[in-house]
This record gives sequence, structure tokens and C-alpha cells, in this order.
Amino acid sequence: MKVSFFETVRYQAPRPLPSEWPVPSGDYDRDAGARAYQGMIERLQYVEELGFDWVSVSEHHYSPRILTPSPIVSAAFLAAHLKKIKIALLGPIVPQSNPVRVAEEVAMLDTMARGRLVVGLLRGTSNESLTYDLNPAESRERTDEGMELILKAWTEPQPFGWQGRHFRYRTISIWPRPLQQPYPTTYALGTSREAGEFAARHHLGCGVSYGSFESVGKATRYYREQCTQYGWEPSPDQIIYRANMLLADTDEEAQAELRKLPAQAPFSMRPGVREAMMTLDSRNIAGEARAPIVSGALPTTFIGSPDTVVEQIRRCREVVGAGVIDLSLHPPGSTDLEPLMRSLELFGKKVLPRIRDI
Amino acid sequence: MAQTAFREEYVDADGFRIRFMEAGQGAPLVHLHGAGGLRVTPAHEFLSRHFRVVAFEMPGFGQSPPNDRTQSMPELASTMARAVDKLGLDAFNLMGTSFGGKTALWLAVQAPQRVQALVLEAPAAIRQQGAESPSGSAEEIARRLYAHPERLASIPPIDPAVRAKTQPLVQRLRGPDRDADLEKWLPELPTPTLVLFGTLDRVIAPAMGRVYKDLIPNCHLVFVYDAAHAISTDRPEAFAEVVVDFLERHEAFVISRAETVIHP
Repeated sequence: MKVSFFETVRYQAPRPLPSEWPVPSGDYDRDAGARAYQGMIERLQYVEELGFDWVSVSEHHYSPRILTPSPIVSAAFLAAHLKKIKIALLGPIVPQSNPVRVAEEVAMLDTMARGRLVVGLLRGTSNESLTYDLNPAESRERTDEGMELILKAWTEPQPFGWQGRHFRYRTISIWPRPLQQPYPTTYALGTSREAGEFAARHHLGCGVSYGSFESVGKATRYYREQCTQYGWEPSPDQIIYRANMLLADTDEEAQAELRKLPAQAPFSMRPGVREAMMTLDSRNIAGEARAPIVSGALPTTFIGSPDTVVEQIRRCREVVGAGVIDLSLHPPGSTDLEPLMRSLELFGKKVLPRIRDI
Repeated sequence: MAQTAFREEYVDADGFRIRFMEAGQGAPLVHLHGAGGLRVTPAHEFLSRHFRVVAFEMPGFGQSPPNDRTQSMPELASTMARAVDKLGLDAFNLMGTSFGGKTALWLAVQAPQRVQALVLEAPAAIRQQGAESPSGSAEEIARRLYAHPERLASIPPIDPAVRAKTQPLVQRLRGPDRDADLEKWLPELPTPTLVLFGTLDRVIAPAMGRVYKDLIPNCHLVFVYDAAHAISTDRPEAFAEVVVDFLERHEAFVISRAETVIHP
């Protein structure tokens, strides 16, 4: 089992903030921001020292919960400060990006980071369609087309034009090209039938997140079936599972931590927007409709003492098939860093050495 | 879609009686069809709003008598050049689809001064090793040719008897996957050329597009997303838009004219 640390930048607000998304920009505290990014580097140097395989970053906007609106900037900064850990760029949100720009930036960073880059392409959470005025009804199609274009931009040796449904370019010819050939290890992220089919067709990995093992297991099973249809078999490393983890010395302590966490949606929108989003943003797990995650807290699927968590990771491998777990260790938004650092140490010393052979 | 009035006409040229469909005004655009023969598609309709479209049925295809005479692609190209002559078109735009893409490329090589611009839709002139033409039942053929067979509704299916009749001609004329006799001329071809491949082409590998770019000095390659081999049927609007733009502006078509002002 490989292990990735999901870095969200722990912004410690000097005063309480409204929980509704978007959070007013005027409430941002510059000093707290500067401390958060500095703390991130110190924390990740420790993560690297503990032997984590990857550190991952994502794309989220207009909120202190995950303070990385530009995952490529985050990844570049991390690549410059860390030595050997792989940088997993699990953003960019494709439907609201310029796919050619994504292809260029990833190629550039992969080269500068000497091939230490892992890439995940995704549609993004429901709230993010509000960030740059994206019609949620179009986001699925824009994601599929954008991903296809990114792969083409990485691989096509001659200048070409793209006559798409949502994107049109007459001239594409990127420099530099990725250092890793034909391109960095790439995942299509998401539980949907479309993401699974796309990943299988292009021999990419698949990344799922935050559901129960059984629920995301449906998506990874569908992905593997699709791979069989396309005549290949993914390796365990080609399935990432991102999940919350609460780790403590004992199961009781971990459960007590869980009770302290606020039970609210990660990016909580006001009711009228949330309800409208429910009808406009169609989502699925391997083709079965699911509601967009706009209300309710994300589950914590790894929780307990090191012994308990090792067994949960073993079960995750069996049910989800994941060869990489991407951990939200002490969920994002919890800004008390003390328990985070404690469980990081506990994970590095008591869990990590015992899951390598899973 | 409202049918533009494509008129059926005939022209006698090079000893053949050649059927063609014509519609539209303006600069002439001659089209040479693929191995399935001539069918008027929505893309023809779109193009006829900008050009005088002349879509030929090449000798031996469709309802024409079997063609045992034509022995090679350059011969067929020369026959088609004579047919264009007979229509009084000295200079014209030329578009070739798949098999007809090779015919069109030969015609441009033979008469570069007459062909103002060349459009090759999923051309079969340069093919990956072992490329096979679609065969089997109508359903099997459709699966190979189209990403969106549902958009075929307005187009009559190909008659299996006609297909059987044209097979020997196609096999005789298609030539090798890499045709040195043709390719040796391409570095000299002055014609502005647009090569289009669908991202889902299951007949000719879209990666063949780059070979045209390598060989033809003034060549542009465009991928049409979510289209298979029959680009103009799978995505007629997308196909016609880029073709019209290229024929009107040649290499300057790379300069965007898209307007992004939301409100004045």
C-alpha cells in the first residue's frame, strides 16, 4: 500500500468565520495566511521524513477550508521545497480550466520537478461551478472533452487544431513536453461511469474519494470491468482512495475526536443554492445516480487506534482495490494542529511500517 | 433540417457518365466521396450555404455501372479532373473523404494550379500498417464508421449490393498503406491543405494526421472531438465550421474571429 498525505493548508483563523460558502474575502487575515503556508512546508518536510510516498494538493476556491485555489502553484512551491516525495496534483478542475494551459503547466512542472509529478484530472465539487460561472449542466461534458484535449496536447508531436464541442483551438503545440513519457502518471478522478470509462479507454488510473468502502468500491469495480473491456488490467497503484482518517492511541480517543468535528457540509452553500444545485448537478457512482455532496459532513472511514486502522486499510484494499490511500488526516477545516501532528507521528511510526505489504 | 435543394445532374467525361449533386452559390467546392459512395449529408447542406458544392459520384460507385476500366488512383483522379473541366471550373476548392481523400490528393498533385485549397476528411491516403476497411453487417460497419450512429437517421443506408459491386474497385485503387508513388510528390505540393481526423476514428488512426503535416508544406491538422471516421456525419456543424473558415481564409484561419464581448 502506498500512502499520500492530502495537504489542505491549515489556516488558523484569528476569529470565527461564517460557515457558508463563499466565505467573505474581507475576513481573510494576511498574517494567518502567511503562517499557514509556512507551516505547510514544515509539516510536509516531516511527512517526507516519515516516509509518505506522495503529498497531494487539490483545487478549491473562496474558502479557508482548503487554501489552494491554484493547485499548480501549490505543487510548484512544494516541489521546490521537498526533495524526494512525489507531488500529486489532484486538481486541476478541468471544466473550468483552459485545458491547453493545464497541459503546459503540468509538463513544465513535471520537467522542473524531474518527474516527481502525479496528476489527477477531475470535474470538481458542486460549489466550484459557481467559482467561475460554470453551468453545472455542462460540467460533465466539459470535463470529458478537456481531459481528452490535455492528453492530446501532451502527446501530439505536430501543431494541431481542436474542433471540440466546448473547446476550440486552431493552434496547439506545447513546449515543454512532460519529462515522464508519454505523460506523468495520470488518474481520472471521480466515481462516475464517465470517469471510469474515460480512465479505462486511455489506460489511466482511477481515483475515488470520501464514500464508504462499499460505495466507492462500486466505482472501482466498474473501472476495472471497463479496463477488461479495453483489454488491460490496472495495477493496484492505479486506484487511489482519498478519505478522512482520525487516528489516536485508542479507538475511544479517536471516536471522541470524531464527536468534536462539526457535522456540516465541507462547502456549505445557502439553502436556495443548495437545493437548486441538487437538481442541476447530476452525479453518479458507476452509473447509479447519487446526490451531489452539498449537505452533510463527509464520512470518516479510517478511524481508531493504529491496530484498528491497519485492519481498515487491509479491508479497503480488498473492497476498493486501492493501492494508494490519500489521507485527510484530521479532516480539513479542523485547525487544531496539535492532534494533527500527533496522529501524523502515530501514523508514520505505528501504521505506515505495517501496511507496506498490504 | 430543411433540405437545401441539391439537384441531381450528370456530366460525360473521360468516357464515363458521371452523376453529381449540386447546390449553393459562390466559389466552387468539389467533393469526392469515400468508399461507401456519394450520400448528401447535413454537412453538404451547411457547406452549400457558403459555396457552390459539387459532390460527384465517382465511376463505379452508387448506381453507375461497374467500373472495370480504372486501374489506379491517379487514373481516377485524372478522370475526376476532366469531369470538373467539363463543368467549366478552372479553379476550385477540393474536398475528399477517406478513400476520396486519396483521389483528391492525387488530383491536387496532378493539377496544383487548379486546386485553390484542399480539405481531406479522415483521408485514407496514408494508413497505419494493416489498416482494414470496415466490413461485415450494416451494424458492424456503422460501429466502425460512426461515433453517433443515431445522427444517421436522415441519411439512407448503403445498399449491400452496391457495396459488393464497388468492393473490387476500392480494393484495386486504395493502394498500399504507405504509397511512395504519392508521398514523393507531397513535399512539392503548394496547395493549402486541411487534414481532419475524428478523435474516435476506428478505421484510420488519427495519429496518421501528423504524417500529412510532416510531408505537405502548407498543411493544417485539426482533430474533431467526439467524431469517428465519418466526421461530417458525426459532427456536421463542427466539421462545416472549420472547413468553411479554412476555405475562406486558408492559413489565416488560425486567427480567431470569435467575439467574447458579453454586453457592449
